Amino acid sequence: MAAEGDKFVYDPERNYDDATMAQIRVMENEIASQNNIVSDRLSLQTLMEEYADADDAFKLKIKDLESRYRYMRRTRGDGNCFYRAFGFACLEQFLTDSKTLPRFKEVAQKSRDELVSLGFPQFTIEDFHESFMAAIKQVEKQCSVTELSNIFNDQGLSDYIVVYLRLLVSGYLQKEADFFANFIEGERTVKEFCNQEVEPMGKESDHIHIIALTTTLDVPVRVEYMDRVDSEKCTQHNFPEESQPSIALLYRPGHYDILYS
Amino acid sequence: MAGSALKRLMAEYKQLTMNPPEGIIAGPVNEENFFEWEALIMGPEGTCFEGGVFPARLTFPPDYPLSPPKMKFTCELFHPNIYPDGRVCISILHAPGDDPMGYETSAERWSPVQSVEKILLSVVSMLAEPNDESAANVDAAKTWREDRSKFNEVAERTVRKTLGL
Repeated sequence: MAAEGDKFVYDPERNYDDATMAQIRVMENEIASQNNIVSDRLSLQTLMEEYADADDAFKLKIKDLESRYRYMRRTRGDGNCFYRAFGFACLEQFLTDSKTLPRFKEVAQKSRDELVSLGFPQFTIEDFHESFMAAIKQVEKQCSVTELSNIFNDQGLSDYIVVYLRLLVSGYLQKEADFFANFIEGERTVKEFCNQEVEPMGKESDHIHIIALTTTLDVPVRVEYMDRVDSEKCTQHNFPEESQPSIALLYRPGHYDILYS
Repeated sequence: MAGSALKRLMAEYKQLTMNPPEGIIAGPVNEENFFEWEALIMGPEGTCFEGGVFPARLTFPPDYPLSPPKMKFTCELFHPNIYPDGRVCISILHAPGDDPMGYETSAERWSPVQSVEKILLSVVSMLAEPNDESAANVDAAKTWREDRSKFNEVAERTVRKTLGL
């Protein structure tokens, strides 16, 4: 940092664009070195410890969570946490309950052709589809939770799965563009929204993304909202609303983790 | 993931060779290294760059296409969105968050489903329609805005130079 009193002098020879991006890289690496992409299963107690110095509003909400959940799995806060948390929890549940896995696998298999028919060039999507299918096949072979965790903690494999989940969201929003156009802020088409807020890595997810992913894969999810809303309990929301989800995510403003009962 | 990057780059090269877009040629500098490409871009018709053939280099990161490549013209090119050292500065070459130029919200962003072809087509539109709101070359932006005839003159000189005239 410049010392106090130093005036900023624009140096035309210097590339500020690069300097900004280098700074962003440093921050990203710092986050990456501190956390696993997806953590081991942790006791909810760790959440209470995290909020030891926080006000009672949060503590009450954690108590409320503790009445329904016992464990959590943390995900790295890199803007991809919803996809990572949902993807992991979704595949993990098939390890214990594989009844609906064949149907899920079929939906996943067919999704590539649907994306091609929506105009995504095949060569730009097939590597991501392959990585996603490879993970599903591991689950089909009843791999261990550790093996699944290894896939999600391998930066490359994990990111390729995230990309594919992003494409599924983009595809669904575009397929149902007439409906979703009503929920998009600003003067943007659904396609523009997908190009800017869904397809690029690191872009955070909102309700619209969650609705799209849970609907297109037909895997419902419950989200527990632990936010500043004035209440002693976390607000629950099922996606889709009338569903009975078997996976649950914890939402804190800007971040998603996985919850286990 | 360098293996995945290589696979993808080979697929893109094949695609570009089979269906080359008009006015664009691109491919690896040599078959030993698929992470360095050379491109030739024709100046778009009806613009001050018409008739020029502009050479550029594309450098791909090991995690391509998660991250975008960098692109640099290897000829002189006086243009608001090209740094004086030749580097191209358009929104599609930036990952989200990397937004030092404050691009308009409607601008195309890099994502893994973009491609070399999409980048080069964006560069052709950039040549045709400079964006002086987010200038990489302040001098060029100012000339484009305030003295169009001088801008055109410089462009014509560059066009002749790229043709070796």
